[in-house]
Parts: sequence; structure tokens; C-alpha cells
Amino acid sequence: MPNSFSVSGSRQEGISVLALDGFLDAHTAPAFEEAIEKEVSAGHNRIVVDCARLAYISSAGLGVFMTFIEEVREAGGDIKICAVIPKVGQVFEILGFNSLFEIVGDIPQAVARFAHSRAEGG
Amino acid sequence: MASGFDVSRLESLLESAKLLQSTLDRSQILKHLLRSVMGRVLARRGLLAIRNSQGTFEIELARGLPSLAARSPYNEASARAAGVEHVFPIATSGEPAGYLGIGGLAAALAPEESDFIQALLGMASSVVSNAEAHLLLDQRLQELRALLDLGRGLAATLDPDEVARLVGLTLAGRWAVSKYAVIAARDPHPPVDRRKGLDLKPFEEIKARLQSLDGGVRDPALLGAVNAPEGALLLPIRSKEELIGVIACGPRPRGMAYREADIEFGSGLAAQASVALENAWHFRDTLARQQLEKELELAAGIQRDLFPKKLPPLAGLDIAARNRQARQVGGDYFDVLPFSSLDSTAPHLLCVADVSGKGISAALLMSTIQATLRSLLRRESSLLEIAGLGNELIHACTPPNKYATAFLCGVDPATGACRYVNCGHNAAVLLRSGGRVEMLDGPGLALGLFPRRTCAEQSFQLNDGDILAIYTDGVSEAQNRNDEEFEVDRLAACLREFHSEPAASIVGRVFDAIDSFAGDAPQFDDITLMIVKRSNAGTTAVLGS
Repeated sequence: MPNSFSVSGSRQEGISVLALDGFLDAHTAPAFEEAIEKEVSAGHNRIVVDCARLAYISSAGLGVFMTFIEEVREAGGDIKICAVIPKVGQVFEILGFNSLFEIVGDIPQAVARFAHSRAEGG
Repeated sequence: MASGFDVSRLESLLESAKLLQSTLDRSQILKHLLRSVMGRVLARRGLLAIRNSQGTFEIELARGLPSLAARSPYNEASARAAGVEHVFPIATSGEPAGYLGIGGLAAALAPEESDFIQALLGMASSVVSNAEAHLLLDQRLQELRALLDLGRGLAATLDPDEVARLVGLTLAGRWAVSKYAVIAARDPHPPVDRRKGLDLKPFEEIKARLQSLDGGVRDPALLGAVNAPEGALLLPIRSKEELIGVIACGPRPRGMAYREADIEFGSGLAAQASVALENAWHFRDTLARQQLEKELELAAGIQRDLFPKKLPPLAGLDIAARNRQARQVGGDYFDVLPFSSLDSTAPHLLCVADVSGKGISAALLMSTIQATLRSLLRRESSLLEIAGLGNELIHACTPPNKYATAFLCGVDPATGACRYVNCGHNAAVLLRSGGRVEMLDGPGLALGLFPRRTCAEQSFQLNDGDILAIYTDGVSEAQNRNDEEFEVDRLAACLREFHSEPAASIVGRVFDAIDSFAGDAPQFDDITLMIVKRSNAGTTAVLGS
């Protein structure tokens, strides 16, 4: 049986919050990719990915982040990651994602980081 | 050296040793080291740089040094410029595993503190190296997981574009690259082209250039030739010897290079991609073939309906015909059609035709001929006119390499008077009751070859006991395993042997003779035979193949 995965989106203070749930692997990465694609093509370039319920992430799942990060940043936005469980965080670290992405504790912090960068004029 | 240590230093060393033994968590060890040293000598600034997998030094921890970012390359000069005053190698001997720097000390660094720090770092060096090895192990493990994960994902898809997507995502994630491309092609499938931020040249253009390469490609000249940026990595996708695609990964972040281990991993991934692409294409081929077979079956059904199910019974004539196709759809055609009156004593047209080529295109032309004949017969009773107009029509509505040979014979059942035109067709065999064979050839080229008609009308009388055999070259050129042909002589012999039997029976005898002659040799061409006898009874038959 394939691992289950779902992504649900919401908008908070003009920021898109995508909550991931389950196993993000090669099977399920396309669903996540489509979810981000949808946000980006709607002009929503400020994205928070909530990993609180993300149990596993594979390289293909990380690839989705890489696929959009440049496009989003060029448009003046960012993808911020929050609420990562240690097992997932370890993968982020091994593959060097910690230095490429801002990873914070929870959604409010992530949203606040956007407010912060906007205040700075970023 | 140890003589300079006081108790508190020994305690500190012991505490560190315990911690170093108890954990393999690299970041904990490093933090502990920096904390211990900074705490020990009351330094406000601290720095830890560690040798990374590329063999260069990278800043791991920086405290009170805002100009030095973690993960940036380390060099002693810029560290000192930033406020680091003392630099210690993390080593017992030889190449250090890293450096620890401190600055902003509350007091000058006493020699014994310096000794303590060196002892601590010496003790830690092997653990740091181990932790580094541990990190590499983690990375290898992650690679294995990625391969396994990708393998599972690929097994679940039969879509070439989806394969490219998964491969692209996996590599982008593995190497943290935001620019990549996966392109592949195999005729007759549409090219696979998934690209993010890389303007790689089309696969067909770069295929020749990459054909002979193996493993990963980092050569700047070659990267430039395919329009990939410097620092990128190309991984050929091979199926057996053939290059079927290429994966391109853009430069890694922070100037990291692609190492041999990365190329190994990438090559393994490319191999998986190759199998998955081949599977997906093969699946498409099978689907297409099934679709084509379905269409052929449909076409064959339509064509079967074009053949007369029953020949019209003509007074005083015994007519039988049979067609057997080499493929599902063929290019032979026969028919018996009234010129104008449906009356069984009225003149009728006997027709056997052979369209160039085989398969669907031949079948289409065959149906054109049939429609042409049927529409012309209502208005024209002259064979020459029919042949001429048929020629013009076929010439006008088909490409020059499409044509049809035809034998058209008008027969008057009442008298047995026949006229015929032979448009490039095999000469019909007329076996006279006395056993003499007449070959009904004639001037005339195939219909549709030239805009002008070239045939001429000729006539003969069909008498009682005569047998007329009109056939296509599938009869005379039927081959056996020795590449010998059936030829007209065998047909004539067959007609002679069974001349007393009804037309339907003679058709069967000839087909039997062809089959026993051909043996297990495959049938290459459609076989069509029409037998006409004059008889008082007058029967006609179409025999199933």
C-alpha cells in the first residue's frame, strides 16, 4: 500500500500556508509540487510550509522545494519551513537545506518572518 | 606539558572525554568544544571550522563574529581580520580535522591554557573525524534511501514525462540544486523534456556530442557546448549502448563541487531512469499497436462488406470467386456488376483488380475503385469509357505511386459474347473446351499511373465447356519455400484437371493446389480467383476464404 500524504492550503495574512501530512516521497512529491505550482501561478510567492505532521521526507520531496525556491525568491517571495520533527530535520541537515531555507518553530513565527522582511523592505 | 595542568583543567578534560565518548552527534561535540574553550579562557569571540567532504575548511560555528557566516569557507586571514586572535588546529598530528579560533579574551592567553586547549582538541580530533565519517555515512544512507524511494516511485508510473519529473525532483532534492533538466527521446515517441531554469539545447542536437561519454560530465567545454552552466553536471541516460537521454544538474549551492561519490549516485539514478523510460515507451508502443490492431480489424470488417456477399445469378453462366488476404486488410477486389439492367440475362461486368501495396492504404484505394465502378456503370456501358474514367479518377485522387491493375470483362449471358480491357493486369486464362489455353492480355497500363487511358478493348466468345479464370498475381506468384512460383502453367493444369466440375469447386481446387504448392511458406500477397463457365444451368457462387 502506498504511503499516505496530503497537503492542505490556507491563507494567513496574505501568506500561503501549505500543511503537509504524512510521507513525502517520490510517490507523493508530485502532489506537493502541484500544490506549490498552484500558489506560484496564482502569484502567491510568500509560502510557509508547515511540516508539523510530516513524518518523512525523501530527496524527491526536497526536490520540490528546490524546484520553486529560485522562482519564488526572484518574485520577491520566499518559502519558509516550520515545525519540523527531528527525523525530518535530520534529513534537511544532511542535505544542507538548513542553510538554504529559513526553518522556524511554528506557523506564527514563519508568518512573522515574512512581516519582518517586509518591514525591512525585502 | 601535563605538569602545567591544574585540577580544574583535568576535570574539564575528563568531562569532555566522557561527552566525546558518549555521543556521535557532531554538532553537539563541536558546540561543546567551542563552549568549553570559550568558557575556559573567557573569550567573547569563538570560531570552529571543520574540514568538509571536499577537503576544504568550512566555518561550522561562529560566536560574536557577525561578519563570519556559518557554512562559509574558512581562511585564517579573514578570521583574524574579523577578530579571532588565536587559532588552534584540531589535530593530534598531520592534517587537522578543523580549526578552533578564539578572540576577545578577558586576559592574555596563558601558555598552560594554550596547552590545555591543544590537549582537548587533540583528544577531540579523532572524534570529530569519526563524526565526519558518520556524516558521510548518513549521506550515503540518504543516497540509498533516495534510490530506493525513486525506484518505488518509478515502478508506479508508465508515463515518460512522470519519470523525468521524479528523476528531476530527486536530484534537485539530493543536491539542493534549483536548476536542472531531464531530457530524453526515442522515435516515434514525443521527446521527454522536463527543465527548470536550464536552457539546455534540444536532445537531438547534443546527442552526437554526448554519445561516447560515460559516467558524469563536468568538463566546462562540453558543458558550454550543450549550453549548461559552469559547475553543472551532466549524466547520460543509456539504454544498452544507445544514448537515450541526459540529466543535467545545475551548480550546487555555496560553490560545492560534484564529487565522485555524487557521480556514482547520479549514474545509479540515471540507470533507473533508463529502465523506467524504456518501460514507459514500451508500454506506449504496446498500446499503440493494440489500437492499430483494433483499427485494422475494423477496416478489415468494412472491407469484407465491400466484397459482394453473393454474386448475381446470371443465366447460362456459372461464376464463382474467392479472395484470401495476406493481411487483415488487402488490396485485391472482385465483383460482378450489372451494366444497367439487373436482369439475369442482361450484360454484366466481371471485374478483378489488384491495388498497389498492401494494408490500409491499399484497402482505401480498393474501396475508391469499387465506388468508381459502381457509379460509372449506371451511366457508361463502354468498357473503354469505364476504364478511362476510372483511370482519371484514381490518377487525380491518389499519389503517383498508388495505382491498380484491373481486368474488366463485359459478358452477355445470352450469347456468351465477351469484351474485355486489361489494365496492366495478369492475363486472364481462357481454357478452351479442347484444352487449348488463350491468354487474355492486352495493351493497357495500370489505372492511375498516367492521366490518359492506355488500354484497348478486345473481345472473345465464351463457349460451352470453356473456362475463364481471372485472377490476381497472388495466384501466379504464390511461392514455396524454394522461392519457386506457382505460375500460370500450374493454374492451367489445375483448370484442365477439374474442368468438368462446377466453378465453385474449381476455385476450391485451385486454392488447394496453391496451398499444397506453397507448403509452410507464408502467404505474401492477396490471392483472388474468379472462375467463369458457360453452362445451361447457370449458377454463381462466392466462396468464403
